Amino acid sequence: MTLTEVRRAAPDAVVARGLTKVYGEGDAAVHALRGVDVTFATEAFTAIMGPSGSGKSTLMHCLAGLDTVSGGSVHIGDVELTGLGDKQLTMLRRERIGFVFQAFNLLPTLTAEQNIRLPLEIAGRQADQVLFDRVIDTVGLGDRLRHKPAELSGGQQQRVAVARALISKPQVIFADEPTGNLDSRSGAEVLAFLRTSVRELGQTIVMVTHDPLAASYADRVVFLHDGLLVSELSQPTPQSVLDTLLTLEA
Amino acid sequence: MLRTTLAGLLAHKLRLLLTSVAIALGVGFIAGTFVLTDTIEAGFSRSFSADADRVDVAVTPGDGGKGEERPTVSPAHLAKVRAVPGVAAAEGLVRGTAALVGKDGKTVGDLPTTGVSIHQGKLNRSTITSGTAPRTGQAVLDENTARIRGFAVGDTISVLDSARKTRSFALVGLFDVGVDQQLAYTGAVGFDPETAREMTGEKGFVELDVLAADGVAPDRLRDAVAAALGKGYEVRTGEQLAADLAAANGANSRLLTVGLLLFGLVAMLVAALVIYNTFTILVAQRAREMALLRCIGATKRQIFGSIVLESAVVGLISSALGLLVGLGLGAGALAVLDAMDVSLPTGTAALAPRTIVIGLVLGLLVTMAAALLPARTATRVAPIAALRTQVEEHTFRTGMVRAIFAGLFLLGGLGATVAGLVMDPGEVALLVVMGGGCLTFLAVVVLGPMIVRPLSAFAGWLPARLFGVPGRLAVANSRRNPKRAATTTIALTIGVTLMTLLSVLTGSIRMTYGSQLDEQFPVDFVLATQEGDSTMPHSIAAELRSRPELASVVQIRGAEARLGEDRVDAGAFEGPFDVTTVSGSMRGFTAGSVAMADRLAEERAVKPGDQVALTTPKGGTVALRLVAVYDGSASRIPPLLVPVPAFEEYFGEVGDAQIMVNVADGVAADRARVAVEAAGQAYPTVRLLSSTELRSEFDQAMDSQLMVLAGLLGLAILISLLGIANTLSLSVHERTRESALLRALGLTRPQLRRMLTVEALVLGLIGALVGVTLGVVFGWAAIQTMVADPLFDLPVQQVSSFVVLSGLAGVVAALLPARRAARASIVGSLASG
Repeated sequence: MTLTEVRRAAPDAVVARGLTKVYGEGDAAVHALRGVDVTFATEAFTAIMGPSGSGKSTLMHCLAGLDTVSGGSVHIGDVELTGLGDKQLTMLRRERIGFVFQAFNLLPTLTAEQNIRLPLEIAGRQADQVLFDRVIDTVGLGDRLRHKPAELSGGQQQRVAVARALISKPQVIFADEPTGNLDSRSGAEVLAFLRTSVRELGQTIVMVTHDPLAASYADRVVFLHDGLLVSELSQPTPQSVLDTLLTLEA
Repeated sequence: MLRTTLAGLLAHKLRLLLTSVAIALGVGFIAGTFVLTDTIEAGFSRSFSADADRVDVAVTPGDGGKGEERPTVSPAHLAKVRAVPGVAAAEGLVRGTAALVGKDGKTVGDLPTTGVSIHQGKLNRSTITSGTAPRTGQAVLDENTARIRGFAVGDTISVLDSARKTRSFALVGLFDVGVDQQLAYTGAVGFDPETAREMTGEKGFVELDVLAADGVAPDRLRDAVAAALGKGYEVRTGEQLAADLAAANGANSRLLTVGLLLFGLVAMLVAALVIYNTFTILVAQRAREMALLRCIGATKRQIFGSIVLESAVVGLISSALGLLVGLGLGAGALAVLDAMDVSLPTGTAALAPRTIVIGLVLGLLVTMAAALLPARTATRVAPIAALRTQVEEHTFRTGMVRAIFAGLFLLGGLGATVAGLVMDPGEVALLVVMGGGCLTFLAVVVLGPMIVRPLSAFAGWLPARLFGVPGRLAVANSRRNPKRAATTTIALTIGVTLMTLLSVLTGSIRMTYGSQLDEQFPVDFVLATQEGDSTMPHSIAAELRSRPELASVVQIRGAEARLGEDRVDAGAFEGPFDVTTVSGSMRGFTAGSVAMADRLAEERAVKPGDQVALTTPKGGTVALRLVAVYDGSASRIPPLLVPVPAFEEYFGEVGDAQIMVNVADGVAADRARVAVEAAGQAYPTVRLLSSTELRSEFDQAMDSQLMVLAGLLGLAILISLLGIANTLSLSVHERTRESALLRALGLTRPQLRRMLTVEALVLGLIGALVGVTLGVVFGWAAIQTMVADPLFDLPVQQVSSFVVLSGLAGVVAALLPARRAARASIVGSLASG
């Protein structure tokens, strides 16, 4: 497939072709990604799974422009990431990408509301008040908006982080183990919220996780093993995800 | 545990580097002070002994009781000494006024030069550096005076003799005054002994130098000479004399040492704050490390010990560094003094054992003491903390104890200040106010964490608006850990407070003096003689009156009289002069009346209408009626005035002590000056002072003083900047993941740098604002206690420049930490911590 064809096939939010990532040199070289071809559809909730060391976090970092790639290409919408400078990558993250991390998602000095509005402020954009109200409504944090992160529970903090990612209407949201630090009830809330934002707000979400239960909330799961894309599932259930994983480990 | 500590230190060399620099600078300043004064002191005693080596026995007059004149040794005693068996030779040193006349026909310098006797042969104690020693009709000059006044060997110089007549001498040589501070200050002209006595009019000698005959021991000769002279003289061997001179001089250099050490201690105090803060932050950051150690069995005592040990190692290494810095500073200061031609002996800078011990012990103690509290905090880390992932935010709550302490300090401080202000101006009042200042400062230290938040809101108001999102985040960051921010800024506050205090004091003293000068000097020029006791002939005033350029000429004569038993300066003025009367009136100021300055009238408890008995040389004791009391502080006129005819009757024909001249309207200052100078030209000792010159001389003196003090305080400020840089880089380290998050959310590298820079700017501004406030308040209070009726001047430009510079300094301190933070990779930072 040539570049022009990719651009014309724009409905895909993120496209990676022949992606490789090597850390270190010579004998010490670690091949984290060995040529990954993967496409993430717009308005879909996709999970990236794989055992520890499979390269799933590296893949996400490369897709999001947080890390440089050793070979291959990454497109977010119609923009190719490979070859962009730090400034351009920063602008791209501002305009088109939202993030939810496993922990330490919020600035402790800002209130929940200030944290949510932060990406817009950094970009110097006005918040869409209708969207803001709707996001807040969906997150269900109306009465806690003026609290500092330290005064919120872990689940609430992650929901604030998701709301922050949603508020700038990014082309894609990358979530890195968003439920890794949460108890199962809070985790379920956050995952449900992620799914709602795809269904109701038309958001595109790519989530890295090692939890089959979490992956089962997604529309599609891709499996990574030793730096290669080895399998994928549509409409996963916890059981089908677990089965696939067990096959991989074997 | 020891190995763990050392491994930890090695692993974190960098984070302790700035701390080390802070201690090294403080210790360096103190060591440098010792190096400097030790070298100077050694130089002095070396040159004293070299000087005194040429003499076996020296005779100096005793204290001489309460005599007004400097006691001397008479020529008769010289003869007696010469007659003592065992004396090979004896000479008397002459020293007195002999004013050198410069090339402009005026006596040189503010004080007349000193005439000294220079002896031929072995007893010559002066070092002739070029030419020969003077014989009759010849003279030598000290090198400095010759260079400044443009004289060279072979010239003819004019010197005024004791009757103020000009006499000419052939300049045959130059000599070095060595370490004689008096000669170095006034400048010196050397003559042969006979001429020296003639020129200075001195009848006695300031010192007799005796050379022993071969085989006569100096101490035995000393006893013999002492026996011959009897009581009232101090007879010492050359060695004793050298030792005594060196000891007397040592007292002076000890004063210098103490003064410099005060600044050194301020620097150490600031360094201690920096160390305290650094260790507190390190302990907080290493909480998990400590907890892990506790988990695997380390006791609280071991944790405490490891932190204290760490501080000891850091303290020792940086104190050693500080000694090297001190050696460099001392050598540098000596080089500067040498280059400035200050008449101080110099030599090779060296570290005395005492300096090394003091430096090491002080550095070690300060570092360890500053680390004690953080070490105690470290012991409170629970083992379970090793398992927690999220770093807890340090929320600060105002404790009862803190509030009570702050209240007590503040009350004590303000109480002492007010008490000092109520007292009569003087040293005690000043000390009380300064004590109040220290207490108030302590209150601010204790209150620090509470006031940092509102202050950061204030100082950050503009930056938050100017720098957008990074600015707002920065202001929020500056207040997130109030305790840390307070300690960081307090270090800067110390320096800024002292700087502001000094500049307010200098400004106020300058203004107070300036206004007094205006009152005392309501004239454009004053003519006076170089020496206070001589006068000017009336012809000068007559000549001045004839000049069309000049509007008014006032002559003031002065003479000594007695009121009862007490001596009093009496005077008379002639010309248009307005006396500011406090009570009574000058209208009745005719024969048989007298006017007095307010202070004298108060002292004598008299008021207008009273009779006073004045005893004068020619008029005997006369009863005079007091007609007016005038403001004595406001002018240069004597404290007791009689009309001119009466003055002549009482004191005879007396010349003018001062002539005050006002320039006519529309005459340019330099033209007027030429006219005034012309009138005084024929009289070498007549000096011309103008009010602007007086003021600029004073201003210059004040400015250079302020500069020296500011330079010394600069060190404390430098150290506090290291503190800001240190705190910031440690905070940056702590917030690695936060910074990465912001970068992921779209903050560009420059924006991240800007955020950290603004944070440092706000910290710098907070420190400066507190410092300026304290400095202005206590500068005002101090000036109230120093002089009566002070004026207050706030040098707005200087003080605001302190604030601006502190902000800038904060920005500079942020350069490296901000760079490092912006460079960090996002992925790596997200994973860390």
